[in-house]
Amino acid sequence: MLRRLVQIAVLAAALAAAGCTNDPYPAADKGRKVLYSSFGEVPKTLDPAVSYTTSEHVITGNVYDTLLEYHYLERPFKLVPGLAEAVPEPEALPDGGQRYRFRIRRGVRFHEDPCFDRARPGQRTREVTAQDFAFQFARLADPAINSPVASSFVQLKGFQDFAKRLAELRRADAAFARLPAQEQYAKAGGIAGVATPTARDLEIVLSEPNAQILYWFAMAFTTPVPWEAVAYYDGREGRANFADQAVGTGPFRLAVYDKQLRYVLERNPGWYGLNPDAADAPGAVFPTAIDAADVAAKRIDPAYAGRRMPFLDRVNFTREREGIPRFNKFLQGYYDDGGIIKESFDAIMQGDRLSPAMAARGMRLDREVEPTIYYIGFNMNDPVLGTKGGEGSRKLRQAMSLAVSTETFLQLFLNGRGVPAQSPLPPGLFGYDARYRNPFRQPDMAKARALLAEAGYANGIDPATRAPLRLTFDIGNTSAQSLLETEFLVSAWRSLGLNVEIAATTYNQFQDKVRRGAYQIFRWGWVADYPDPENFLFLLECSNAQAKSNGPNTANFCNEGFDSRYKAMKDIPNSETRARLVKEMLAITETERPWIELFHVEDFTLSHAWLVNSKPMGLSYPAYKYRDVDPAMRERLIAQWNEPVRWPLALLIIGVIALVVPAVRTYYRERT
Amino acid sequence: MAAYLIRRLAYGAVTVLGVLLLLFVLFFAVTNPDDIARKAVGERARPEVYAQWKTNHGYDKPLFLNRAYGSGEARHYTDTLFFEHYRSMLTFDFGRSDADDTPIADRLLRGAGPSLSLTVPLFILNLAVAVGVGLFVAFFRETLLDRVVLVLCILTMSVATLLYIIAGQFLVGMLLKWFPISGYAGDSSVIWRFLALPILVGVVAGFGSDVRLYRTIFIEEMNRDYVRTARAKGAGDARVMVAHVLRNALIPIITNVVIAIPFLFTGSLLLESFFGIPGLGAMTVEAIQGNDFSTLRTMVYLGALLFILGQILTDVCYAVADPRVRLA
Repeated sequence: MLRRLVQIAVLAAALAAAGCTNDPYPAADKGRKVLYSSFGEVPKTLDPAVSYTTSEHVITGNVYDTLLEYHYLERPFKLVPGLAEAVPEPEALPDGGQRYRFRIRRGVRFHEDPCFDRARPGQRTREVTAQDFAFQFARLADPAINSPVASSFVQLKGFQDFAKRLAELRRADAAFARLPAQEQYAKAGGIAGVATPTARDLEIVLSEPNAQILYWFAMAFTTPVPWEAVAYYDGREGRANFADQAVGTGPFRLAVYDKQLRYVLERNPGWYGLNPDAADAPGAVFPTAIDAADVAAKRIDPAYAGRRMPFLDRVNFTREREGIPRFNKFLQGYYDDGGIIKESFDAIMQGDRLSPAMAARGMRLDREVEPTIYYIGFNMNDPVLGTKGGEGSRKLRQAMSLAVSTETFLQLFLNGRGVPAQSPLPPGLFGYDARYRNPFRQPDMAKARALLAEAGYANGIDPATRAPLRLTFDIGNTSAQSLLETEFLVSAWRSLGLNVEIAATTYNQFQDKVRRGAYQIFRWGWVADYPDPENFLFLLECSNAQAKSNGPNTANFCNEGFDSRYKAMKDIPNSETRARLVKEMLAITETERPWIELFHVEDFTLSHAWLVNSKPMGLSYPAYKYRDVDPAMRERLIAQWNEPVRWPLALLIIGVIALVVPAVRTYYRERT
Repeated sequence: MAAYLIRRLAYGAVTVLGVLLLLFVLFFAVTNPDDIARKAVGERARPEVYAQWKTNHGYDKPLFLNRAYGSGEARHYTDTLFFEHYRSMLTFDFGRSDADDTPIADRLLRGAGPSLSLTVPLFILNLAVAVGVGLFVAFFRETLLDRVVLVLCILTMSVATLLYIIAGQFLVGMLLKWFPISGYAGDSSVIWRFLALPILVGVVAGFGSDVRLYRTIFIEEMNRDYVRTARAKGAGDARVMVAHVLRNALIPIITNVVIAIPFLFTGSLLLESFFGIPGLGAMTVEAIQGNDFSTLRTMVYLGALLFILGQILTDVCYAVADPRVRLA
């Protein structure tokens, strides 16, 4: 009897195991150049006028081409031509304005899509014209689109007038409001500063010089958009919304988009980069100037230099809502790249390197400091902490700055994945000085206590109340993690004798406090739109103060010296003068301490050995056209790593037998 | 029976109206529609965009009574959030998601398939295993097997579902490598590969409580006179257990089972989230995390509706299963 039971159990296990595999992909994918990745956050919109998050940019950045691009390998970042034939030089205009002329490449066509059939029956695609760029600029200005970056284009001549005209016409005439977007824009007269003298020429006229405007031409916001797609994908009669479509010109087209489950980018056979006359197009050919360090670290394969892109047939993204299964699938080889989850950090990393076990698998670790800054801000309108408090308040802020240790914070909460910030500027940006050490960001409790005494709060005691000075740290997050992090920051101030209370509310309640100016200390962060110091320093410029203009300067920092230098530096090209101005501005923030700079996020990306050209681009810039995979190596290693471990099954069978046998024996004993 | 059903349906309708009132208080009176709009369009959106979003989603209406009636701006006194809330829910016109503007009805339809593909086999397997093991250990009561299974039941009941998920993914996906750790495919020829592991985990997670319950029910039945009579008449053990004990234990089993059936439609929050199944459970979790109030409102309402229907269905099943039960 016992033997029969064992035989049945073994047979059942063998049958169950036969044909079972943990490979989540179809067998038809084997041997194909498919890159497997994952996503957690569902893209909210793929409309290039609106999409702003990294999760959306993974799609829009690969599907929509831009006039300019960032050089894949050069640092600091450098703009190169994309759909434009050249990076335009600014032309000064007699009225003080500025003009940029773009010449669009020949033979750039949109992805094949049913929307083009609307304009001409049977048509599946068409060539891009300058009007498609003008249409997208009109969409950026359109108040109904609600582009999050509309304010960045206000220097475009007639941009705001067009938006106002459009809104007024819609208000006044309901029939106008029902017209298709392209007809409304045409009737509203278009944007004065966007001219299309020919189908291949685009002219952008600014009312005043703006050196940063070119960066915006390397983002999907300014991509050409076919009016046919906007008109066709209106969410009616079974058609999708334009927010769930992507009809671009990029190296990949969106082949599958089930945003709750997966999306697939497929090589675009009609991409301009494959045209014979694009042999020298910087956006179509892998760069030839390759850094030896990138080759040594196996981030770049020099054999790709000068080769036409893209190299992949497909990029497959699978939705993973939770980090643990995503990371485990990466370890099994079913994702080609991934981050490191907190729970496995110690198993993956040893010091600042990969653990020997991971390195033995051929895994690579790429670290990239992101253009970010996380900081504690003081409300400079607050009577105790702000400008009105004069020298005493300044010393109080300096003392509080000296008490906070970012290194410990990073180790405790982020596994060290961050670079302690000395100023608002992250590494890799013009004006960043790696040798600079902010004297108020080197933790020194003795110096902090001395400054506190000089501020009039010896041992943290407020002379007015003869009790510890009471301050409030407002946070718009009530999660346990956020409270713990804030508690850590506050504990340093408490050890100075200050009585800092944490006021944790929901995000909306916190926003309401910010709107009303009812806050003292807060914690915030910023991720750059483009790699320029202006994109960080504007966060401290007076006209952007929250209290004045509902702007991003939540600290309400207003300093004439800072503002005058900001105005002088923001529109000039990188130069010694600009470097000097930036340095002087940083010196002002060093002394005034509107912020306690905490850290710049450092991104740790893991890639398997078969993923070629894995160098991260930063700026959440997608780089799939540069990447490649070696499917044969992947198949071999996955088979090697996924040999079943059978002892748990044997253990389970023994356990079941150990349970059942006494029962059977009891049964027979009772019956005999 | 008909009169009873009508009465129960009437009670159910009143309960639904009460649930809707509670939902209204929670989602419109406690939560400010302005906050919902601000969250959806972004803190720094232009006022006209903000106003447009509120209009598109119906959040611009007054709370209870539209005093602007007759001014040409409003259709009626009842053109308010309160009446619109009742109208939309009672007519199953759930509107659009606050998070991504997609029609909620579409999301429900898309999510129902993956949810049911997980919950229906899980439910059936869970029931079969729990009833089978319950019957088995009841038969072997007071033996070592019975005691060990009871200890196992207590153990499985004491462990959080999340641990089963992680352990299941590790054991089956990482060590045995039988099934993918997570994922889903709409293709019916491969769907089982993605569902096998979550179903297995679901069965183990629900094992303890269900087996204990059914064991108790069966033991109670085994002590009754009709069992002794059946044995005295020479009925075999298998016949006694299945034809007599199991059949007579149907009423409590039905209570436990039928009430669970409606919830198969709402999916499993944890299993769907951790196994990457794009069902209604995962959608609910996402609605909570993403402040998607309209979706959350709909899911709570549907949950309440299904619960009420489940209770009515349970009562009807009593009458069908046991001729002694008369509904009046």
